Amino acid sequence: MLWQLTLVFSILSVFSFGGGNATVPQMYADTVVRHHWITPAEFARFYALGKLAPGPTMTMGTLIGLAVAGIPGAIVATAALLIPAGAIVFILGRLWHRFREAPWRERLARAIGPVVLGLIWAAGVAIARGAVDDAATVAIAIVAGVVMLGTRLNQAVLMLAAGAVGALVLR
Amino acid sequence: MSPSARVDAGKLLRVFLWLGATTYGGGQSAAIRREVVRRRRWLTDEEYLELRSIALIAPGPNSPNLALLIGLRLSGTIGAIVSYAAASLPSTIILLLLGALALDPHLPIVRAALRGCAAAAVGLTFANALELSALYKRQVPQLMIIAAAAAAALFGHLSLWATLLVFVPVSFALTARPARGSAPEGS
Repeated sequence: MLWQLTLVFSILSVFSFGGGNATVPQMYADTVVRHHWITPAEFARFYALGKLAPGPTMTMGTLIGLAVAGIPGAIVATAALLIPAGAIVFILGRLWHRFREAPWRERLARAIGPVVLGLIWAAGVAIARGAVDDAATVAIAIVAGVVMLGTRLNQAVLMLAAGAVGALVLR
Repeated sequence: MSPSARVDAGKLLRVFLWLGATTYGGGQSAAIRREVVRRRRWLTDEEYLELRSIALIAPGPNSPNLALLIGLRLSGTIGAIVSYAAASLPSTIILLLLGALALDPHLPIVRAALRGCAAAAVGLTFANALELSALYKRQVPQLMIIAAAAAAALFGHLSLWATLLVFVPVSFALTARPARGSAPEGS
């Protein structure tokens, strides 16, 4: 099991271009659909906690590791998410002089942008499968989206407010 | 010769631990710049932007990547490892503490609160996606790539690597001239 966790999350790490949010649909496909490690509702819950905690959402993989294999699972999943990407960044950082004037560098960063964004839309759909299943949850999702678009509210404050509303109305 | 001074790895550890524990998503790169460029003057703005552009094209969350590259620049291999770990671990530990609550919520009130959070996370994600997509409103090819990549992942069940392998070269070819939109900064 630890070996499978390592494999799934290291591959996600290597391909986590564009900040890591783009890995969410593949993380869902691997951990919910293919391996049945967690349910869609658990996935959505862990994703939400990833939004509540500081740091990148991709860190939610740590919670999947915890659910699958306890503390050793959490440690293995975290290391597998961090180390392969870190090693690639380290090598790029070492070689940076060679790319210093390369015009393709900025162009590549721009080219990754729309692809990652498409995958973020797909991530929203994956999360919705486990999170939105009745009128009340649809209403919370819509209000949260409108609030985020209309204000500069900190996302953690939004998540805390949604938790309070959920505790009151979703029981 | 780079104008940046070498910095003690212990100092890097303290700075990135603090930033890692207190900053959120898209705000992290800006917080790093405030601390490392403006407050401590360890790097010039130009150096910061160079390192940031490497962090953006590399895999992994942008802000720990940036921390790693800053550590590497200022304090070599040890600085890189210390900064990367320091930027990544506080959020992981906070998440684990929250996760202890979420793993098996027996209390109905905790279950209900987490359902509320998960529903809000859906709205939050679509709001972020919409806001970032609006940056491309005058760039039809980019909008088509956004839609095609989303559809490929959702309906074609195309894997992450296949999606990147197919769409990044197409997108690169279509990004020949400087685009008006900027690369989104994921968290």
